[in-house]
Amino acid sequence: MNPYQIFDESVSFEEKALKVFKYQSENDPVYGRFCKALGITGPVNIAEIPLLPIQAFKEKEIVTSKKNLSADSYQLFQSSGTSGMQRSKHIVVDPDLYKQSIFDGMWEFYDLHDYVIWAYTPGYNSNPNSSLVWMLNALIEREDSGHSKFLDLDKPLLQNEIDEIRASGKKLMLFGAAFGLLDLAERSNVDIAKDTIVMETGGMKTFRREMTKQALHEQLAKDFGLPLEQIHSEYGMTELLSQAYSVGTQWFDCPSWMQVSIRNPENPMQEVEQGEEGLIGVIDLANFYSCSFILTGDKGIMNAENQFQVLGRWNPKNLRGCNFLIDQD
Amino acid sequence: MNEAMENNFQDHIQKVSRATKAWLQPDNLSLKKTIDKTVEEGLFSFEDIKFQIRTLKQKVDSGQVEEWAKRANLLETKNSIGQKVLCLHAGNLPLVGFQDALGTILSGTDYYGKLSKKDPFLLSSFLKMMDEVDLDIQIQYSTELADFKDLQADKVLFAGSEESVDPVKEKLFKLNAVNDNTEFVIRTAKFSIAYLDNENPETLRDMIEAVFRYGGKGCRSVAVIVSPFTLSKVKCHFTDYVEEFWMKNPQLKKPKENLAYQFAFNKAIERDQAWLDDFLVQETDDFPDQEFVLNWVVGDHDKVKELRSRFGNSVQTVYRTGENINGIKTEFLSNAQTPDLWWEPDGIPIL
Repeated sequence: MNPYQIFDESVSFEEKALKVFKYQSENDPVYGRFCKALGITGPVNIAEIPLLPIQAFKEKEIVTSKKNLSADSYQLFQSSGTSGMQRSKHIVVDPDLYKQSIFDGMWEFYDLHDYVIWAYTPGYNSNPNSSLVWMLNALIEREDSGHSKFLDLDKPLLQNEIDEIRASGKKLMLFGAAFGLLDLAERSNVDIAKDTIVMETGGMKTFRREMTKQALHEQLAKDFGLPLEQIHSEYGMTELLSQAYSVGTQWFDCPSWMQVSIRNPENPMQEVEQGEEGLIGVIDLANFYSCSFILTGDKGIMNAENQFQVLGRWNPKNLRGCNFLIDQD
Repeated sequence: MNEAMENNFQDHIQKVSRATKAWLQPDNLSLKKTIDKTVEEGLFSFEDIKFQIRTLKQKVDSGQVEEWAKRANLLETKNSIGQKVLCLHAGNLPLVGFQDALGTILSGTDYYGKLSKKDPFLLSSFLKMMDEVDLDIQIQYSTELADFKDLQADKVLFAGSEESVDPVKEKLFKLNAVNDNTEFVIRTAKFSIAYLDNENPETLRDMIEAVFRYGGKGCRSVAVIVSPFTLSKVKCHFTDYVEEFWMKNPQLKKPKENLAYQFAFNKAIERDQAWLDDFLVQETDDFPDQEFVLNWVVGDHDKVKELRSRFGNSVQTVYRTGENINGIKTEFLSNAQTPDLWWEPDGIPIL
């Protein structure tokens, strides 16, 4: 299968997923062993494809083949983390495939011609292998007005730069991790256009603050002087080469080559009922050369429109031991 | 405390002790019936209940009720007559709430017990016996939290987690069962760690008991073994003892499908493991967050200390099989499932 066929909308998602499964289960040793241990060899539909727990990216190199690849011919992404902490590694054999996934994915939600991209990424700059920074860099490089850029850290937004974007006829899309954006808003005293999009990229938990996503979005809207529907979110991670977007609500949609399902933590082969909480499972066909079938450690729910919400990390720490559970005991 | 009160309280302790002993007698038909009912309803295995009751009987018969009262200086200053204590009992293993119930009653406070729907018969049989011996305290119990409406408890005792605390408190406030002055005592320990430094049959049997009794549930059960031996070295030997244990103590609750998923994941990342049908042993120093899984860690005393520190207040006890581990408090592995009545959940005495 030509990997770029994943973007071909004339072929059904299921058909493409089954082909990718065949390729990866045969060529990715880690995923191959996983499927074999579960006794899954030839699924006939998506529901029969097992999702690899995301921790595998911390334990092993998940790649279909590194043969004939020199170290400088592939891109390595690594999650951020403190020293001693195990970090996820994602070997990206074809960075152009990732680039197309980024651009085509955004096109499904936004008219990229209209936007200048600003990125505020404190905390990520210390990680030279950040997939988020790579993605933002790609978006900045493709935009040709000369206004797109990474913002200097610890500096406020400048009114004249905002006015220049307005004068150019474009709109601003401001990317940033949750609390970095709050700091930026606090530091800045500017009048930004009401059609500006603030794109929050996650990173909800820091050692300093903890708040719900809804509260964060309300705060960002207030601090930037924007309507709440202008606060959007991106759901992505080192282990994925596609992103889902929530456009002014708490519900995420996927691009056409990515699919999310909510899995039963007690049996990840099963989906939970709509509206029930479970583990977020992702099929990301852009992960063509690693593993497209991933069980994340995130908690989520799905609505009737196949949109999903991210409810934080799944916390299984309470399964053992004595634990009074109000609904069970 | 004046002499009359002291005598009264001594009398209270004696009554509690006698009633507890009577309840544990093999000819106690009421207890026998509740055991049968618990087994019939598939709540716990007969073997696990028998083990728990035998353990309690040994402790009570050896005078531990009186000894507990003595250790806690109950005759001097510490009895809290007139206080209302609400115990929210978990039901993950048979009679897991026994210690809290006995301790509360022994201390002379009024006992209010929310019994678990997963263990509704055994503890209520004990409490019924206590109620019948004319103690000068209130004893009320129910499986319905709503029955404690307007209680206004002075203290609430329960085992939980950060996530479970708020919903529980919210519910209790809604029922007016507590108020702003109520003290909440919340236990967070989830599992224990053991250091295994030899393969003697007796040690291995103790280890199996500590890991597999009650299907691995309970915070005193071992979920992490640290050992200088690799899993592959002891796997066969270990498995033989597990089979021997399961022959005598069939495991009632079975793991869910995610255990097979974990097995496949271990295969995928080439992690050493042993599949024991109803349990999985895997070589990893990750946090033990799954039921029916034992984590095996190759390491020495320093590794034990590192894990104790890393897992923090989720760890109930560190067990040893040989010499002391400097710098941390330990207990003998052989006591894992047979603790004294005064053992301290989360390191905090009940009395």
